[in-house]
Amino acid sequence: MLEIWLGILQGLGITAKVTAYGLVFAVPFALVFGVAQFLTTGLTRFLVTAVIEFWRSSAVVVLLFFFYYVLPVMGITLSALTVSALVLGLNTGGYASQAVRAGLQSLPAGQREAGMALGLSRPAILLLIELPQALVAMSPTFVNNLIQLVKATSLVSLVTLTDMTFRAKEIAQTDYDPVAIYSALLLAFFVVCYPIALAGRWLEARVNPESGTPRGI
Amino acid sequence: MGFNFDFALSTVPTIIGAIGTTLLATVLSCLGASALGFTFEMIRRGGGAPGLAVRFLIDFVRSTPVLAWLYFLYFVLPFYGIRLGAMTVGILGLSLYYSGYLAEVFKAGIDAIPKGQQEAARALSLSRRDTVVFVIAPQMLRNVAAPLGNYLVSILKATPYLAILAVPEMLGRAFDIASETYRYAEPLTVAGILFLALALMLAYGVKRIEQRLLASGRR
Repeated sequence: MLEIWLGILQGLGITAKVTAYGLVFAVPFALVFGVAQFLTTGLTRFLVTAVIEFWRSSAVVVLLFFFYYVLPVMGITLSALTVSALVLGLNTGGYASQAVRAGLQSLPAGQREAGMALGLSRPAILLLIELPQALVAMSPTFVNNLIQLVKATSLVSLVTLTDMTFRAKEIAQTDYDPVAIYSALLLAFFVVCYPIALAGRWLEARVNPESGTPRGI
Repeated sequence: MGFNFDFALSTVPTIIGAIGTTLLATVLSCLGASALGFTFEMIRRGGGAPGLAVRFLIDFVRSTPVLAWLYFLYFVLPFYGIRLGAMTVGILGLSLYYSGYLAEVFKAGIDAIPKGQQEAARALSLSRRDTVVFVIAPQMLRNVAAPLGNYLVSILKATPYLAILAVPEMLGRAFDIASETYRYAEPLTVAGILFLALALMLAYGVKRIEQRLLASGRR
């Protein structure tokens, strides 16, 4: 039992790596595209929305296989780790961009008007007044997005990366003990994700004290 | 070998042919998740030891990936002598995974009903079951329709996970073609476009229903 547990934890490094690299794609994408969708109008907004919808509305399983197999045909060779981080990151970034936009939209117009009255430029108003408030207000949603990203990393086991899910399958090949192995896999993800969820609930209570029901996860 | 457009087009009928399986898996998983989620929420509301156990189960399910649940059911059920088809296991897995999320949807839908409704039901000495069926559920349905619709779209986007269990839904068919012809790019592109189109159409439909409900609520 302990051997199975330690065997699965050997994949924790890859799980953490894909999550961290995924964030490298997700955070800039969410900020740039969320802000762009908020600021632009007309054709530009349509194009920004189209990019967001491609990453957000596609099935992440299909996206991963698509980029894993199609990019090499187009002459672009990336490592499995890079492709995974790119796909999972931009998918998560697509979700988070909607929180960025919604956060900006829900600010009272008086915030921007006050900035204008102080003679601040539009970028200054965005960076100094609007974004800080919007990002803090939406932080519980970003925590949920992070949990979704961690859970989605289980997919990289399908493109040969030896994450926790891959390790579980490897152990299952030599050891016929599916109950212990797959229970341990579920438990391993729980141990990683549940503390993040609790942190999210704590944030929710801090940021949004009047909402009595914490959303979590 | 580049991208062969004619070959891509030739794979479309085969992959679209599996749309029935994809949609069936989506609808059955959503029904299963709703039934299970509503049951969980009712037990959680009941409190006591079962309520606490279900509260933990919901947190546990939502902290673990759907792929791990699919493997768990796929390999653990036969170990206990329960042999089910891959499609059934897939639908069970998606139902279980999304029940955790739908329990929260039902919770919010019930919390939004004014407390006076339950008090009135008690004043009329309706039983707990009658209160749920005739007072809570009908009012809850309007509150949960929109988020439930959004989860229907999420479940549609999760059905390609079933390809991993060799269920012949659209992604599964695309992989069948790929392994027969050794060409992955074309069938996967077609599957990607079909899933995106399907998800966008379903999301649009859900949005329309949501707007209609909002309009009828204002009347």
